[in-house]
Amino acid sequence: MDLPENIRRKESANQLLLQTPGHGSYLAYIRTIVVDLARKVGFDESEVAKIEMAVDEACSNVVKHAYSPDKKWCWQHRDPEIRLDVRREGDRLVIEINDHGQRFDFANYRHADIEDRLHQMKQGGYGLFIMRNFMDEVQYNSNDQTGNTLRMVKYLKKS
Amino acid sequence: MKDFRIDLEPRGAVRLIRLSGSLDMYSFPRLEEQLNTLFQQGQYYVVLDCRELDYIGSAGLGALIGFAKQAREHNGDVRLLNVPDRIYKIIELLGFTKVLRVHNTEEEAIDGFPVT
Repeated sequence: MDLPENIRRKESANQLLLQTPGHGSYLAYIRTIVVDLARKVGFDESEVAKIEMAVDEACSNVVKHAYSPDKKWCWQHRDPEIRLDVRREGDRLVIEINDHGQRFDFANYRHADIEDRLHQMKQGGYGLFIMRNFMDEVQYNSNDQTGNTLRMVKYLKKS
Repeated sequence: MKDFRIDLEPRGAVRLIRLSGSLDMYSFPRLEEQLNTLFQQGQYYVVLDCRELDYIGSAGLGALIGFAKQAREHNGDVRLLNVPDRIYKIIELLGFTKVLRVHNTEEEAIDGFPVT
């Protein structure tokens, strides 16, 4: 896959570093690259699909919310960027997604019951539920030095 | 990576929309615009052929629920057709198949809609 010039990619044996503009048009590239890596690590297709969706939800939230024009960014002199660090650590895949946009109150956010939302045919609010249920660990950290980092971990289950 | 495409094919009173590529938060507004146009024209019988889709995100799924709800208020529906297995398993796991009708043949998908 040919990547646009403004996507930076650095890959080693067990780690991928990816940097893209924080714009929705780059989500497809992020998904493709993460899916390829998840398959190489050895996840089966159903787990790859879950990882793909969790990463897409996280990056979509960065584009839509962290870098929303009416929000306050950490470093507003910089163009919006999404930085991914995807690495295998033993029997797990660690995915860290970093941005310098508006921080999110992750600790206090309680996603509504998905059954309830579906029953009421609500349009949104499924993203965090997906991340928490499709990945084995989800943590969020924010500080003025490094910005906002969402860390997701998927365990490689033995067959 | 396929570019996202929308192709509209009338089937009598039913509007068959063939989708290809990825339906994510970036591409979904185009489908949203098409569905809004159809609804403004009073066309509430919609089938989305997903055979050539390689991804649907929750923004798209959630919005489709909204459109299905609106269509049903006008005795219509927004139904999914030929959802690739990889995608179907995910949307079934999330529970979206309890709310959105998913079909494997065009005949099933348009069954119950008016013929003309």
